[in-house]
Amino acid sequence: MSSDDPPGDAGPGEPPLSSPVTGIAPRRLHPAGIAVLALGSLRELALPLGVALAATIFGGGSGQPMLRAIVYAAIGAAVAALAGYIRWTTTRWSVGEGRIRLRTGVLSEKETDVPLGRVQAIDTVHGPLQRLFGVQGVQVQTAGGGRESEITLPAIRPADVELLRAAVRRQGGPGAAAAAPAALAERRLGRRRLLVAALTAGQVGVLLPLLAVVPQLSEELWGNDLESAGREGMRLVPESAPEWILAGLALLVLAWLVSTAGSVLAFAGFTIARDEDRLRVRRGLLARREATVPVARVQAVRVVEGLLRRPFGLATVHVEVAGYAKEAAAAQTLFPLLRRAEVEPFLAALLPELADVIDGLEGAPRRSLRRYVLPPAALLLALGAGACLAVPGAAPWPLLAVLPGAAYGASCWGAAGWRIEDGRLAVRFRRMARITVLAPAARLQEHGVRQTVLQRRARLADVEVRVGAGTAAAVRHLDASVAGRVFDALRREDVVFGLPPSEPHRQSARTAPRR
Amino acid sequence: MVTAGPPTSTPEPSRTLAPAARVLWRIEGLGSAVVALIAVGFLQGLVGGTWALAGWAAALLVGAVAVVVVPELRWRRWRWEVREHEIDIRHGTLAVTRTLVPMLRVQHVDTTRGILQQWLGLATVVFHTAAGANEIPALTVAEAGHVRDRIAELARTADEL
Repeated sequence: MSSDDPPGDAGPGEPPLSSPVTGIAPRRLHPAGIAVLALGSLRELALPLGVALAATIFGGGSGQPMLRAIVYAAIGAAVAALAGYIRWTTTRWSVGEGRIRLRTGVLSEKETDVPLGRVQAIDTVHGPLQRLFGVQGVQVQTAGGGRESEITLPAIRPADVELLRAAVRRQGGPGAAAAAPAALAERRLGRRRLLVAALTAGQVGVLLPLLAVVPQLSEELWGNDLESAGREGMRLVPESAPEWILAGLALLVLAWLVSTAGSVLAFAGFTIARDEDRLRVRRGLLARREATVPVARVQAVRVVEGLLRRPFGLATVHVEVAGYAKEAAAAQTLFPLLRRAEVEPFLAALLPELADVIDGLEGAPRRSLRRYVLPPAALLLALGAGACLAVPGAAPWPLLAVLPGAAYGASCWGAAGWRIEDGRLAVRFRRMARITVLAPAARLQEHGVRQTVLQRRARLADVEVRVGAGTAAAVRHLDASVAGRVFDALRREDVVFGLPPSEPHRQSARTAPRR
Repeated sequence: MVTAGPPTSTPEPSRTLAPAARVLWRIEGLGSAVVALIAVGFLQGLVGGTWALAGWAAALLVGAVAVVVVPELRWRRWRWEVREHEIDIRHGTLAVTRTLVPMLRVQHVDTTRGILQQWLGLATVVFHTAAGANEIPALTVAEAGHVRDRIAELARTADEL
């Protein structure tokens, strides 16, 4: 094929390519790969190893448990190192004949073959280990890929990364965009923003159950062997109500700290840049990640105003990307923290394809307010009543839970809204956070209306849209006729027939009178 | 029958499921009714007396509704239609759900048959999008095969546009 490739385009000081015609000759990973792979093996071994260690230390038996634990740990490390070395020696990768090849495997050999034309992006990871050795981890992202990239190279020289990128560029696939793309727009997360973003990350709810297990676990562990420590521990178990509340608060603060630290690690140095047809995201403190998102694969934007952020008018912007839904939430973050007013200009600069106003939505009618308020209020009232029965003496107070229930319902009503304009859909709803979904109507996966028997009598109905695996949105209790009109407006016939989608949408939906 | 769900100007889907769908759902309902009765029997062993009698009555009533009434209502409500550019589905008894799936978004389509369905000569068409799966349950085997092939064909042409 392209025999006229300049052999030296990998940059100055590079050794000439071993086979200039085909790209990169079969080669091993950088030796640092041994360490990275060993660490990976150690992680896989962590659970059985941990069990063995725990059994040794707490399982009683004769001899010195600590010594045996150290021996086990050493054996584990040695096995992991050996596994890393073997995996390194049996891994070869190459670029040639228009494809990237990866051959791995000790007993059963596995060969992965990705045509360069299908490569969407070459993403990189610099973990602490990789940085120590001055190498990079590479993930080859392909179209239609599942939750993980098909080819992962844990450690290769930066020069090889450039060669790989050059090969993809030459091939002219979707990943070929702009040889040395000049960023059209760039945004960076400053230190203060990072701090605020981390403090308000509010993954507290996720971490709490995890932390609640910790005291139980430690009780299990220390209750057995270290009798005195166990008794100390028992003294720490709260006895009265104020102590329980204090313990709960302490747990909350701890969860909050963990969540904050996690966010700092994930989002430090967050930078997003837009070039012609892709977004490049760099982030991470310990492991620095570089990811690329082809704009054509972005299905929707989610503006999330979390519980802790909403009072300060702050929001996070997420993207729904086809094929990325299973990845960590951090990987779907377009920007960790923006003021509400900044969201619009931010999108206009970086993702004008999906940019839209996030305010001025058509709300749910006033008469549906009680339908929003009643269910959560009733649920919390029932829970409160249960608490009254379960804890004697607490009598009327738990019933007050009805108030936050009602408040939550009312705020859900206030959040609900929709708009269809120029073929762009905006839908807002509240779970715990207030979420605004912006999506081109043409990229919906499905949409529908739903009406219960009770809603039928009141002439109300829900509108539901699904944008991707990660984004389903529903606006509940709209006027039934409005819901029906939204349903019609989102039909795609006009789009499929190639008519401009703006006119019919504008007529049918925007002018919907409010009852 | 009066159109169910909120008023739309999109034409209502018109195709029904196979009549044997009712038999399928009755058998499935019978299964859950039996489970409910066993649960009540278990409770009677624990509690005994008049309360358990009320339990039996309730379980029998729920079972009868699940076996006799619900399948009929469900079958009458179920409508579907495969158009050139979309699949239109309407179903539900207490809550009526109407769903439109653009043909362009259909990734693949297949038919499945459980043991009961095989016995009754029925099959379910399942079509997948990036957001998940939807299905048209309990068609006759011949019709299901036809619908599957047609959706596959239309989805392919939609992709080429």
